[in-house]
Amino acid sequence: MLIRKMWRDLLKSKVQFLSIFLMSLLGMYVFVGLDSEANGMRVYEESYYEQNGLADIWVQGKAFTDDDLRKIQGISGVIKAEKRLNIDGKALMPGDRELNMQMNFIDASEISRMLIVDGEPYTPGESGVWLDFIFCREQKLGIGDSIKLKADGKEFDEIIKGTFYHPEYVYFLPDAAAVMPAYGEYGACFIDSSEYPVRDELYYNLITADLEGVDNTGGLSDEEKGICQKAGEMISDVLNSEEIVTTNKNENLSYQTFHAEIEQHASMTYLFPIVFLLIAILGIITTMTRMTSRQRVQIGTLKALGLSKRTITIHYASYSFFLSLMGSIVGALLGYCTIAELIIGMEADAYLVPDMSKAFSVRAFGGIAVSVAVSTLVSFMSCRKQLAPAPAETLRPASPKNLKHSAIEKSRLWLKLDFATQWNIRDIMRNKVRSAMGVVGVLGCSMLLFGAFACLDTMNFITSWMYGELNTSRYQIIMKQGTPYTVTEEYAKKYSGQMIENAGVEFEVNGVKKSGTLTVYDVGNYLHFEDKNLKEMSMDGKGIAMTYKMSRTLGLAQGDMFRWHMVGDDKWHVNRISAIYRHPTSQGIAMSRDMFEGLEFTFIPDTVYTNKDARTDLDGDDNIIGVQNKDEMMDAFDSMKEMMYTMVYILVMAAVVLGIVVLYNLGVLSLVEKNREMATLKVLGFTTRKIRGILQMQNIWLTALGILLGIPAGMGLVSALFASMPESMDYIATYSVPSVMYTVAGTFTLSIAVNRLLSGKVKTVDMVDALKGQE
Amino acid sequence: MPFIEFKDVERKYMLGENAFYALKDVNLEIYEGEMVVILGPSGAGKSTLLNLLGGMDSPTGGEILFNGHDIAGFKDDELTTYRAWNVGVVFQFYNLIPTLTAYENVALMRDVRNNVKKGSIWEQESGGAEVLDPAQMLASVGLSEHMHQFPSQMSGGEQQRTSIARALAKNPRLLLCDEPTGALDTGTGKEVLKLLQKESREEGHTVVMVTHNSFFADIADRVIRVKNGTVQSVETNGTPKDAEEVNW
Ligand SMILES: Nc1ncnc2c1ncn2[C@@H]1O[C@H](COP(=O)(O)OP(=O)(O)OP(=O)(O)O)[C@@H](O)[C@H]1O
Ligand SMILES: [Mg+2]
Repeated sequence: MLIRKMWRDLLKSKVQFLSIFLMSLLGMYVFVGLDSEANGMRVYEESYYEQNGLADIWVQGKAFTDDDLRKIQGISGVIKAEKRLNIDGKALMPGDRELNMQMNFIDASEISRMLIVDGEPYTPGESGVWLDFIFCREQKLGIGDSIKLKADGKEFDEIIKGTFYHPEYVYFLPDAAAVMPAYGEYGACFIDSSEYPVRDELYYNLITADLEGVDNTGGLSDEEKGICQKAGEMISDVLNSEEIVTTNKNENLSYQTFHAEIEQHASMTYLFPIVFLLIAILGIITTMTRMTSRQRVQIGTLKALGLSKRTITIHYASYSFFLSLMGSIVGALLGYCTIAELIIGMEADAYLVPDMSKAFSVRAFGGIAVSVAVSTLVSFMSCRKQLAPAPAETLRPASPKNLKHSAIEKSRLWLKLDFATQWNIRDIMRNKVRSAMGVVGVLGCSMLLFGAFACLDTMNFITSWMYGELNTSRYQIIMKQGTPYTVTEEYAKKYSGQMIENAGVEFEVNGVKKSGTLTVYDVGNYLHFEDKNLKEMSMDGKGIAMTYKMSRTLGLAQGDMFRWHMVGDDKWHVNRISAIYRHPTSQGIAMSRDMFEGLEFTFIPDTVYTNKDARTDLDGDDNIIGVQNKDEMMDAFDSMKEMMYTMVYILVMAAVVLGIVVLYNLGVLSLVEKNREMATLKVLGFTTRKIRGILQMQNIWLTALGILLGIPAGMGLVSALFASMPESMDYIATYSVPSVMYTVAGTFTLSIAVNRLLSGKVKTVDMVDALKGQE
Repeated sequence: MPFIEFKDVERKYMLGENAFYALKDVNLEIYEGEMVVILGPSGAGKSTLLNLLGGMDSPTGGEILFNGHDIAGFKDDELTTYRAWNVGVVFQFYNLIPTLTAYENVALMRDVRNNVKKGSIWEQESGGAEVLDPAQMLASVGLSEHMHQFPSQMSGGEQQRTSIARALAKNPRLLLCDEPTGALDTGTGKEVLKLLQKESREEGHTVVMVTHNSFFADIADRVIRVKNGTVQSVETNGTPKDAEEVNW
């Protein structure tokens, strides 16, 4: 019979129970959606690198000989080592198109292994070329086709033997100037070293190695980092060369980008959905508490009739158990099918990996369990509360609580307030929990809305910061690698540009090595620097400035000394940090050309910043890779934001739905409780309009308070989100006035609309019915 | 041996610093199969007394013996088992579960027996009495035609009769009624009284009825008058009238 009672109760208070269902559903929708996506990527990353291997260290810095390789292989702790020639070449396509092609001339492929899609696997000594799968697909190339390639200026033909995905080419860019991948427009290939066009001139510039104690799953632990670093030192020793630079997978663009993306998603997964879950749970708590306290007399009756405490508790706990279980499961499945699907689909286009798919994680089940457990526990406890006193007590109507007059009611001001204000103040004071819950609901809704808007603000700010403040040039001429200074200088003169050199450096502080970037600037006023507080700062040209984030990572401050060397140069330098500046996407150091040359380096600029349109002029110019204009770069950056937009839309929609559910639910609760009071007001002659006005007034107060708290909470949420981003990114959480306005307007509209909808019910309050019942 | 015995029972409420005695120094005896009426003005402590009898409340002092067992010190669970086996209650405001039909409200008593702790002394004493058939119970209070209506679809009298059917379905040794006719007209009230008297006379069950209407004293075997929390008098009525004959 109790089961029938449950179903009928559920039907009778549809709105409230539906809201428990919906809140569980929404909480799990966002949580499981984002979690399955992030988890899918994580699981995928692990299994992908585990299956196809990934080198633990990359050794560069000289032309390696067979003897060098043998020496490295002989080092204890080195499981495998391979040498190869890795160069930027070209694929010469029909119609005179030259496409960038990263070429690897190899002797073996057992460390980072090709995952063959079509064709035959690579065997050492075999002729032919293995190309990346997407390149072949987009360029309509098939197995057995012939392709013309160019390496080190020499052209040669190869037959396509196979297509692959490769762990070192999960993410790669066509050249140093590119910011976004466009796979298929450029490619990567592996060719046996015996096929190098001029056999006698073959050289090797890269050695990869697999180390004992470093595995391919998860990120690099500190211990693993140590092993890699130690191996690097030993390699320098055995080869007796200080020029050697050893990098680990954290410094590998492909791995690092993919891994950082996954980490970033993981942090997204936690922050937002947990906020969601909390609001949903709070909603469930209020609903269940109210519902058991309204069934107080029924609970007393059941107990008086001789039903055991256990039976009654189970009965009431099962309401929320079933509802939240169903809601959570439906939400989890929906999230899994929509959010996870959508985002993983977008990710699959950004990375070169086969069939990346979403995956339920233990956390998803944990989330369901927590949400179900919490809501069951809440009704369990609130039911216990009603069961604790003897039935004689519970059978009588609850004594009205808090009959004391509050301080404000005693003050002189009270008498000056109009009736509506007095009534609302009393109502809020006597229903503190319900009012607080209303505030929390609005808070959560406005916090999520504001958080979402602030994410967009931040991304917009980063774009304008990078391309409007730090680099004010309209065009960038990207020089080919190895272009002599004199040639670049001519371009700079012709277009009145500023010459910049970008390079990689390695820092060492307290035995810990970190790689970063070096920016060397010639005179000119396109490149700007801003200090910690984003105030433009002038560089005196005498010292070395370090980015804020790098200084934080290294634990250094202005005036501290640090050790560094340029990648490809074995000479270590010790310098003082003369200034701290901020940069959103690359962390390292910057200095003037004079300073750089003072350290006895040769200035070889690779980029010229200018405002003159050199695009048509330089089209097809042999010395340059290309000319980029600012709008294109901003567009490229914008498309990176696409994913952020998608997430933001999902969050905004979910926040709105959640807001509606929580507010509607609380509104219904308060209406049910005020039914008698409103009937009395009506009997006394108040018009429906007046009563609705009174209700709306209270709603506006609570909403305003919720928003007031929600906006700072949203700020906290966003700064926590950006603070959890990878080391190379220094995103400054930004909030704009329009965002505040949208949030305020959006939340108010929502709240007032819901209240209007609800207060329509005032009309239907039946005076006779409401006043006659006992209770 | 009396079926029920109150020894120096007291029920006090703490209202802030002050103690308020809803019942004080109550001593009384009730015998099996009797029809007992508790009379007294409003606020006298009648309901309090009834609640103590039914194990819905515990005294703050004294002993309450039910068939020789002291239930005064019972813990919550023990009281539940006590109620489940021994007590049927008819409430002044019916207290039907609004989302269950008349039939289901009565059938709920099966859940009561199914969920109660097995092997208690009460189970042994009552011989593990079966819950009676809900349809028959409703028929016996004349509600066969309204069996599948919800409480909100029934008149007050019909609801009260449902409530009686529910209480009797347990086949309880003790039937407690708090103002069972309080909300009913004379005719309907009389029907209810007849049902209660039948229970005591034909089934041999003890019926205790609380009322402030002194005309009801005539149908009782024993009349307990309560005032200001104390028992004023206990009278035995050698020749109780039939419920049919009472008028008020
Ligand atoms: N929980 C309580 N706290 C304080 N006093 C209580 C409580 N319950 C009952 N009382 C007091 O105990 C006294 C007896 O109450 P009781 O309900 O037994 O009266 P009654 O005789 O049934 O009256 P009525 O005929 O009006 O139902 C009353 O004065 C009442 O105010
Ligand atoms: Mg009473």
